[in-house]
Amino acid sequence: MKRSWFILLFIMFGFIPVMAIAEESYTFDPAETEKKPYSAAGYVEFKPILYGLDREAALYKLRFFNDPKGQTLLEANGRIQLEGSYEKNIFRIYAKTNTDLKSSYSGESERTTFYEAYGSVKPSSNLKFDVGKKTMKWGKGYAWNPVAFVDRPKDPDDPEQAMEGYILATVDYIKSFSGPLKTFSFTPVLFPVYDHVNDTFGNNYKLNVAGRFYFLLYDTDIDLMFMTGGSRTDRYGVDFSRNVTTNFEVHGELAYVQNFQKNVLDVNGNRYLVEGDAVSYVIGIRHLTTFDLTTIIEYYHNGMGFSGDDMKNYYAYITRGYNAYQTTGNAAILGNALQMAEGGYGRSSAMGNYLYVRFSQKEPFDILYFTPSLTWMMNTDDQSWSLTPELLYTGFTNWEFRIRTGVIIGARNSDFGEKQNDYRIELRVGYYF
Amino acid sequence: MIKKIMFACLLIVFLACPAFALDGKMILEQVDRNLNPESYETYRKLINIEPDGRKKEFTLFSVKKGTDKVAALFLAPASEKGRSTLRLGDNMWLYIPNIGKPIRITSLQSVVGGVFNNADILQLDYTAEYDVEKIDETGKEYLLYLKAKNKTVAYDRLKMWVDKDKKIPIKIECLTEANMLIKTLYFKDIKDFGGGIVRPSVIETDSPLYKGYKSVIILAKIKNKTYKDEVFTLTFMPNMESLRR
Repeated sequence: MKRSWFILLFIMFGFIPVMAIAEESYTFDPAETEKKPYSAAGYVEFKPILYGLDREAALYKLRFFNDPKGQTLLEANGRIQLEGSYEKNIFRIYAKTNTDLKSSYSGESERTTFYEAYGSVKPSSNLKFDVGKKTMKWGKGYAWNPVAFVDRPKDPDDPEQAMEGYILATVDYIKSFSGPLKTFSFTPVLFPVYDHVNDTFGNNYKLNVAGRFYFLLYDTDIDLMFMTGGSRTDRYGVDFSRNVTTNFEVHGELAYVQNFQKNVLDVNGNRYLVEGDAVSYVIGIRHLTTFDLTTIIEYYHNGMGFSGDDMKNYYAYITRGYNAYQTTGNAAILGNALQMAEGGYGRSSAMGNYLYVRFSQKEPFDILYFTPSLTWMMNTDDQSWSLTPELLYTGFTNWEFRIRTGVIIGARNSDFGEKQNDYRIELRVGYYF
Repeated sequence: MIKKIMFACLLIVFLACPAFALDGKMILEQVDRNLNPESYETYRKLINIEPDGRKKEFTLFSVKKGTDKVAALFLAPASEKGRSTLRLGDNMWLYIPNIGKPIRITSLQSVVGGVFNNADILQLDYTAEYDVEKIDETGKEYLLYLKAKNKTVAYDRLKMWVDKDKKIPIKIECLTEANMLIKTLYFKDIKDFGGGIVRPSVIETDSPLYKGYKSVIILAKIKNKTYKDEVFTLTFMPNMESLRR
């Protein structure tokens, strides 16, 4: 474990002299562009975070009931990502690993996994076969993607993070046309769920089938998706994206999920099953001004989300469990509550309706490679929200410096109000090699 | 008699106007073909130079087909490697490997920062985007006044100084609709790239909006090559590396 931290710090700070002496005259030798059959690259990141804890919040009580903390909590995170590929003729293999390191109140931890590892065969420019672990990233939304049927859920707090894929087999078939329909592509997916193969996805021992049809029609991107097979209930989706004017884009997604089931707590803390069809959607815009201010606004309706009353019952259940633990030392209720958090209550955007607004200003005051931004996310059901100012600097080749704070505001029993933190301050230093 | 002279004058004016318009278009078409074949692949390096001399370099592999299809892949630096951009007429997309899917971008945005914007990186033929409004002759140069064909073009007006003999641009000023200067491109170091392509290998850019900053494009290779239409699609964007040989 200590060795992993040492490797991370060695890679990051070993390159600082390179950064300082990178001022030489420019040249372009054609040899620089020669293609090699193999490639290797990587990314290392150091991310300390200071959390300001809300010790009255339900999710604080759930996490720290047996180990109470002070006003703040410091956590150090590290990340190492390595990727490599080898290509010969129409064949290619690719792999990307991710190692997360964490040093916090609970000690040190390390988790290494393949984010992606797949083989490709590409007999022509309009046909490609992939088999292995891969991310598909369906959908047009920036913060949410309800139509991403074969991906893990995106974190709206950091939507541009790399994600872990699933093991699958897929084909890309592309056809171009002249006329209003410029492009058509079809991406069928075989998605197995068995022991040790995507076994956290849903019901086991099922071979699921999914697919996406893409059309570039009248300058509008349109996708139709589906997934069936039994690991999760059947679902269908559609998305679109279009530039209304040069600097104004609109996009949207809609997912229809049949026979969706979720476990909900009643006011007495008893679980009951809710079943029915669900519709989730995202509608959003992206706008760029002449002075380089980018605005992203998205509204998300989560048809599979919990209502305000569902969440109040859950928070009350945690409080009941916390009080029981304080008086009797019995953590059974809190154990159940933890299970339910993993089952849905603890997920980000767990409720029904959210608004996301992000402003980012590229290179203000003529400061090259500097981008300040401000992100505001609101639960429109209970009017709780978070505000995240961020400063990003990418002026040193292959380095990325980001500092951001997050302030969380919300009444008791509200989505953001019951999160474990009141605020957080985060520094991220990343280096690509 | 007076009527005859007036008729002759009018006839000359009517005949001369289309001739000038035709000349302007022809010169611009020659400029386009002298800069690039209609379909090609090229390797370029973009360098942003800050007032203190600090540089940031980007290496790109680009392919173009016909009048409305162009795509580019970032080869370096490591932080940008694997990013690709695609332009189909007025539509532009950016693919970032971490994000994993193409997102729509606009011509005025810049994926590299600094003076270059996306329209500079994914440039189509000038004749595809501009009409020639007027031509002046100044010694060994033509001065073409270009007007964008529609509002989606990054710069509403261009003033292009063209070498009369070589039909190659020497300098281009990019202007707004209100004639405000956005940037100036200087074409330098004419080089023989083989296959009949003889063109400037260096384009320097400065901008009054970025005082003291300079950007440079250096061409290392350019050759005539035609790819299938399917290469210029969203679905193909993650696979652009496979085009390189």
